[in-house]
This record gives sequence, C-alpha cells and structure tokens, in this order.
Amino acid sequence: MKRIRALIIALLAVALILAGCAGGGKSDTIKVGWLGALTGDQAVWGENELNTVKMLFEEYNNAGGIEVGGKKYKLEVIGYDNKGDAQEAVNVTKRLTGQDKVVAIIGPNSSGNAIPMAPILEKAKVPGIATVATNPKVTVQDGKVKPYNFRVCFIDPYQGAVAAGFAFDRLGARTAAVLYDVGDDYSQGLREFFKLNFEKKGGKIVADESFNSGDVDFRPQLSKIKAANPDVIFMPYFFKEVALSANQARELGLKQVLLGGDGWPSDQLISMGGKAVEGCYFVNHLDYADPAVQDFKTRYKAKYGKETELNGFLAHDAVLLLVEGLKKAGKVNGEALAKAFEGIEVQGITGRIHISPETHNPEGKDAAIIKIVDGQYVFQEKYAAQ
Amino acid sequence: MVQFFQQLINGLSIGSVYALMAVGYSLVYSIMNFSNFAHGGVIMLGAYFGFFGLTLLKLPFAAAFLLASIGTLLVAILVERIAYKPLRERKAPFLYFIISAMGASILLENIVIATIGPTFRTYPEVFPRVPINIGPLAIGRLDLMMFIISAVCLTLLILFIDRTKIGKAIQAASYNVKACALMGVNTDRIILTVFGLGGFLAGVAGVFFGMKYTVYPQIGNITTKSFIAAVFGGLGSLPGAVLGSVILGTIETFVAGYLSSQFRDLIAFVILIAVLILRPTGIMGKVTEDKA
Repeated sequence: MKRIRALIIALLAVALILAGCAGGGKSDTIKVGWLGALTGDQAVWGENELNTVKMLFEEYNNAGGIEVGGKKYKLEVIGYDNKGDAQEAVNVTKRLTGQDKVVAIIGPNSSGNAIPMAPILEKAKVPGIATVATNPKVTVQDGKVKPYNFRVCFIDPYQGAVAAGFAFDRLGARTAAVLYDVGDDYSQGLREFFKLNFEKKGGKIVADESFNSGDVDFRPQLSKIKAANPDVIFMPYFFKEVALSANQARELGLKQVLLGGDGWPSDQLISMGGKAVEGCYFVNHLDYADPAVQDFKTRYKAKYGKETELNGFLAHDAVLLLVEGLKKAGKVNGEALAKAFEGIEVQGITGRIHISPETHNPEGKDAAIIKIVDGQYVFQEKYAAQ
Repeated sequence: MVQFFQQLINGLSIGSVYALMAVGYSLVYSIMNFSNFAHGGVIMLGAYFGFFGLTLLKLPFAAAFLLASIGTLLVAILVERIAYKPLRERKAPFLYFIISAMGASILLENIVIATIGPTFRTYPEVFPRVPINIGPLAIGRLDLMMFIISAVCLTLLILFIDRTKIGKAIQAASYNVKACALMGVNTDRIILTVFGLGGFLAGVAGVFFGMKYTVYPQIGNITTKSFIAAVFGGLGSLPGAVLGSVILGTIETFVAGYLSSQFRDLIAFVILIAVLILRPTGIMGKVTEDKA
C-alpha cells in the first residue's frame, strides 16, 4: 500500500511540474515539439536528435531569438519519448498538439512511427518534419500528398535514381545488372527506380535478379549476371547480404564495380566483405568528412562530449527548415507554416533542401557518393539526380 | 554450355552443404523415428567452435576443424542425455520428442545470443577467394575442399555403418529397436553412437558453413532446407539423404539460373511434393509404420 501511495504522490508531482511547464510559456516564445525514441534500441539516435535541436535553439536564443513578422521570438523545444513505438508516437503527437499547443513537430526518425501521425497533425493543423524517415508513404499516400507532413531526407526511390545517374554519368556504365531482395520494400523501391532511371538515360539493364530475405547463397543469380557481363552491378540491400554476395561474386570471377544504397555503411561490411567491396560505391545521406558538416560536428562534440550520429545532421536541417519556414510565414501559426514550407528553399548542411509542393519531399537533394578505399569510407562527391 | 556447367558446379557445391547437414537428421530418424530439430543448433555451435578455434586459440585449420567436430559430438550427446533420454525412459510419444527437440534448438540459439552476442562473425580467410579457373569455369577453392571433405566423411560414415559391429547394430536397430534390445543389443549405446556421429558431422558442416557464409546465432534455420532434402531422399536412409541434398541443390540452382530465383523455392517444393505423392517414403526411404 505504502508503495502505491508513494507512486501516486510521485505521479502527482510529475503532473504538477508538467502543468507548470505547459502554463509557464511566455507569449514571445515559439513552442516546438519533438518526438523520438529516448529509451529502447533507437535511444542513441533519439537522444542525438533532441540534443541537436536543444543546442541549435539555445544558439538562436543566445543570438537574440528569431524574427517572425517583425517581432523577436525565443525558441523552446518540448521533447517526448515515443519509445520507438508507433502507438506511442500517436499518443505523444496528441499531447504535443492538444496540451502543449506546439506550432510544429520535429521527428520522428522512423517511417513506421511517422506514418500514423498524419491524421492527428492534419486535424490539429500542425506541420511535422520527419528527420530520417525515408519511406515514400510518410508524405504521400495513394497518390495524395499529406498536407501537414514534411521531411528533410531523400526518399528510397530517389537513392535508386542517384545510383543510376552516378553509374551512367560518372562511372560511364552503359550496361548494368541488378540483384535485389524481393522480400523487402526498401530493396524493391531502390531497384525499381534504378532501372527506370538507368534506362531513361540510355543504359541497358542486362540482368535483373532477385533473392529472398534470409538467403545466403547468391551464386546461381551471380552466374547469370556473369554471363550477361554488365559494366556495373547494383546491390540495393543491407550490409550482410552485400558482403556475402560480393564475396561470392569475386569467387565466381566477377570483377565489376558494385554499387549500393544507404543500407551499406557499417563496420561489418568492411570486416566481412574485405577485398570484395574494395573500390565499390554507395549512396549515403551525407559524408562525415564533408567540409559542410564539420562546423556542426565540432559544436556538437564541444557541447555534449561525444560524436553526433547520422540523425543529428538531419535534425539540424529540420531546425533550419523550421526557422526559414517561420520567417517566410511571417506569423506563428501551424497552418501558415505548412503553407510556407511548400516550395521553400534552404541550404542545409546535408544538401540543398527544396520542398516540393506536390510531394513535401526535398526534391533533387544532394546525396553523398562514398567509395570504399583501403577499407575506409571515402567521400567522393555530392550528386543530385535530375 | 559454359553457363550450364557453371550452374552445375554451383548446384553440387550447395548440395554438398545440404548433404552434410541432412545425414545428421537421417541418422537420428533411422533409429528414433523423430526429426531432431536440435541438429540445427548443434551445427551453429560447430560454426562458433571452429571460429573461436581459429581466431581466439589461433589453431591451424585442421586442429580448429577437429576441435569443432569433437565439440559438437559432445554437445549432441549432451542434448540426447538432457532432452531425450528422460523421454525415452518414460516411453513418451514421438510428438514429445519433437517438442523437446525444438526446445533444445531454441535454447542453444539463445545461449549463444546471451553469451556471445547476436552479431555476425566472419571467419578469417583460410582458403584464398581466388577461384580455380578451368577454361571459362570458376571453381571456388573452398567449394572444392568442402566437396572433397564431405565426400570423405560420408564415405567413412557409410563404411562405418556397413563394416563395424556397432554399425551392424545400428542397422538392426533401424529396422526394429525393440526386437534389437530383446536380442541383447545395448540400444542406449547405439543411440549415443548415432547422436555422436550426427554431432561430429554437424561440426564439419558448421565449420564449412561458417567459412562459406558467416557465423550468427540463426544459422540453424538454414538446416530447414537440409531437413527437406533428407525427407526428399527418404528419411532414415543415408545414401538417400546425400542424393536428396544433391538433387535439391541442383534443382534450386538451375531454377534460379534459368528461370527466376523467385520461382526457385516454388518449383523445388512442387517437385518435392510430387515425389512424396508418388513415393511417400522419399527416393530411398525405409518403409516404416507410424509407431505413435
């Protein structure tokens, strides 16, 4: 009994503190929501995003705040943990829009959590900016754009287009083979758009082979690819299968350059793939060694004492987009802000972000091309598909 | 034509991995009439034993190989003692054995996840990845080695069962365990021998599998295919298990190579079902009545 009573008291205390926070905002403060995982598997990414938002808001506030419609405002973030859970993402969104009355929400990082938020955002007329949610359905479903969902990362099909453009223009490939995982949406999306764009450029897909999730032997498919003798081989799946299929390709005597997407980068790829992936390329959101991101990296490290993850860079650009959107809207209002986002152009550290009114995605955003040299990920160039 | 032979080589190589795993299922089935699903877990442990033998203990390949096989031999016997012996003594129906086997398989997998961790491990390169080229055909050095060692192991196993006294006893027990025991054969020893043999081969299979692909706690799932190959060839028959494995491996490869890999499992299993309808005991299976 005693324990239960203590628990109730503790809960009441927390409720009071929360109420105090919610009621204490001054009129010249813009409240922005953030949600993501602060506990569970993805906690390291969530914490990284929230830290980034907090740091940037603090920097804006120390510089006197931001000017919206001729008036100076301070920025305040209200961050909640959704535990990486879709249902919890819905609950947290309701709390942010209903109770905290935020003007916009940054996050979450996962597509699975971002997709169910849409109806609540729409009802509350509060725009959401997803960070690393790359599934097309986050902003567009059944051919219709979701009015209050935006994002700062490129989408899965786009990676396929970038890979195709890079292979054709930069590597000079005229024939390509694709090996992909039929059981995975991510892989299917990349493959479809790689094919489409490679053929549009005048290239020829000479082999289009698939495997099933969980397969470990790719030699029958690779032997077929070998017979077709393509200039490059596109492998849009995750590092484990990449390493296995790359090793098997080399065993069969295939010497072609291999090409992939953001499922590649991992320490495991280098240790498992070794020489087989040497000299190969993949598409990523950014490169850690890119000069454009160095300033943010140092600031983050100085404040928090550790390196930022990939998520921090995209959270950074979500904040940039938000601030530019508010300035463009000229007033602190979710509806006006959503309108302002459409067609806006912002130079982020991960690339140029031009939000398309039709898709709410950063169309034509630069992707980073990374090459594997001596077991290291070496940044090559920024590349945008037309 | 080059394509045909290359795919045949691929198929034989995949089939030989299946064969090493499939005989383990067949051996146990021939005596105890149930499918020992813990076999996959034992194979997985074999892969880990070999891996740590090579990396932590820095043993030469042959020594690591032997360590893994003896290690899995002991594990297989331990599994029999803990998971099956109490059931045998109580004369439990065969369904209980299958459930116990699944439990043992899940247990082994989770012990590895909890102690070693869920991440992938990669074997150091024992055989160079440069293939042996015969004209336009490429044969992996590891594949060749695997094929030869599998063949040697399987021949030795068949000789053991054909020529030794205990081998004869195993054959007798596979016809009728009860009658065998009545004739004064120590069936407990036979069962231990069978598990030991299966375990030894599981170690061989595990090391090769780890070298060929990678080591991770869920390797055991792959053995589903070899179990199917064992059923295909006829559960309980060793030559059947080998034949079934080679046929399944080759069919899979040819379907993936000439039609589409999406049809691979579909066609392979349609053929399997057709064989089982025409010959319910598999290609070379022993005829048994259900004892349950």
